Amino acid sequence: MNLRKIAIAAIATSLVLGSPAVAGNKLIASGQRVKVAKSTMTVQPNVEWNKMGARPGRNSETWTLDGDGLNDLTFYGGIESGRPLFREVDKKNTPLPKVSSTMLLTDIPALLENSYRVALQTSAVQIDAVQPVQFAGTNGVRFTYSFSHQNETLRRRGEARAAMIGGKLYMVTYEAPALYYYDRSYEAFRAAAESVKL
Amino acid sequence: MASGKLAPFALTLSAVLATAPAAAQKAPPLPTYTPAYSPTGVDERGLWMESDEAERRLRDSRSVIKDPALTGFVRDVLCRTVGQDRCASVRIYVQRIPAFNATMYPNGAMTVWSGLLLRVRSEAELGAVLGHEFGHFELRHGVKGFKNARTGTDIMAWAGILAPYSPSYQFGAIGQIFAFNRAQEREADLQGLRYLGASDYPSAEAATVWTRLMAEADASALGRKRKASHNYAAGFFASHPTEIARAAYLRKAAQEIGDVEPYPNDRYRQALANWLPEFLSDQIKLNDFGGSEYLLNELAVDGWTTPLLFARGELYRERGHPRDLVSAAQFYQQAIDQGGAAPEAWRGLGLALLRSQQPAPGRAALREYLRNRPEAPDAAILSTLIAE
Repeated sequence: MNLRKIAIAAIATSLVLGSPAVAGNKLIASGQRVKVAKSTMTVQPNVEWNKMGARPGRNSETWTLDGDGLNDLTFYGGIESGRPLFREVDKKNTPLPKVSSTMLLTDIPALLENSYRVALQTSAVQIDAVQPVQFAGTNGVRFTYSFSHQNETLRRRGEARAAMIGGKLYMVTYEAPALYYYDRSYEAFRAAAESVKL
Repeated sequence: MASGKLAPFALTLSAVLATAPAAAQKAPPLPTYTPAYSPTGVDERGLWMESDEAERRLRDSRSVIKDPALTGFVRDVLCRTVGQDRCASVRIYVQRIPAFNATMYPNGAMTVWSGLLLRVRSEAELGAVLGHEFGHFELRHGVKGFKNARTGTDIMAWAGILAPYSPSYQFGAIGQIFAFNRAQEREADLQGLRYLGASDYPSAEAATVWTRLMAEADASALGRKRKASHNYAAGFFASHPTEIARAAYLRKAAQEIGDVEPYPNDRYRQALANWLPEFLSDQIKLNDFGGSEYLLNELAVDGWTTPLLFARGELYRERGHPRDLVSAAQFYQQAIDQGGAAPEAWRGLGLALLRSQQPAPGRAALREYLRNRPEAPDAAILSTLIAE
């Protein structure tokens, strides 16, 4: 086999193996109102986002600008009472805390913190400021947090806005590495979060 | 998670022998120890190099608790267990991970997880675990395990070529790798007991660690509406002997040594006092009601102290059944009445009362919290709950 054939074979192989998996990522256009998280929740972003094909759970979806490790905007569209925030990896040995329709607004940050602690197997999750906010036209909660994965030195920051509406949890979270990325895309998150309607 | 990365060479303690325990001898004096051991041979040198790199990462990890008092105490217990000459070279990293484990790197770096410190009750019990880990180091288990695994996988590869239709060779080779690992764990357990036998600590306490761990696993399972179960014999792929086996052979070996003089555990409690609320908080956030409730009851064996009552309130409020909220409010109130409670007890009391439809006393408790913690990070949202 000469070099040219090898090169062609290599390209052919890379085309077969290297093509993106059937992830179904989708471009979200700027300025248009879209339905999110298989729910009645709608959002109007002010920049283009990419919707990830993989969902964290049944009633949720994730958008990103540069990849979900660098900026992660996740919508939770009405998580029902008795259900976890996102998909459980090991239901038997490490079950996640469940949403309850009688939760107070102050219980939402605790639910997110404990879910992250169990799912990421880390104790480095901290809730910072918790404030009231208008979310999806109702009284909601806005809170900032920071976390890092077990044995990782990278610190991520996050902000969430959430409300209990009709006994279900509606929430938007934005997470990015504290260094550079968080501040850079914060405005795009804010615009999306403030545009949430039910 | 890091345990995956460390798996090839970190020897862990975590739960789970099929072979019958060998007769333990009455603790003989420990052999003379040669400090500043240098690895020999290409395998051991390579393993040490990898461990050095992993230790560098560990040192900078955010999970390491940088409290000289706590690390100093753990080192002191290790030194009292294995002796001053042996412990000097060990580097100890206490990690904030709410699970029962400790690990030893082949190069002599030791990690102790906060969940272990929360679960052992005395210096002797901690010494038993640290002695086990140091045993792995002194007996050079890292390199022996690595060589055994390599031989096993070599046999599997050759059997695949030479005897492709006889999977029993490969099956046997896999089983041998795990059985070797279990034998090492048992060897380290008994080595740990020898250290205890030569120390001031009573070796009888090594077995109680495992019986209590089994009881906690039962409580966790029941809390999750599952059947509690324990294996009498280790499974084919088990890396550790079962807890039942460990408790049994450790108790037998300790009886032969015969030192059952109890050791006071005041010093252990004092050393942990500053960190107890933090470790309890990590435990309660694990969504394991049964296990956490068992642990709290174990810790409260000499009475419910204020931090324990507060933690129990948090645990019950977290689960949040209507009856739990009533119990939570009682625990917070008891913590407050006992004195010395942090203002957070008022916060918990207020939120528990609000959720159980008692708005007036709930708001009053939240107001009390905000009076004591005006700068609280959740002051703004609590104010709206008070105003509603």
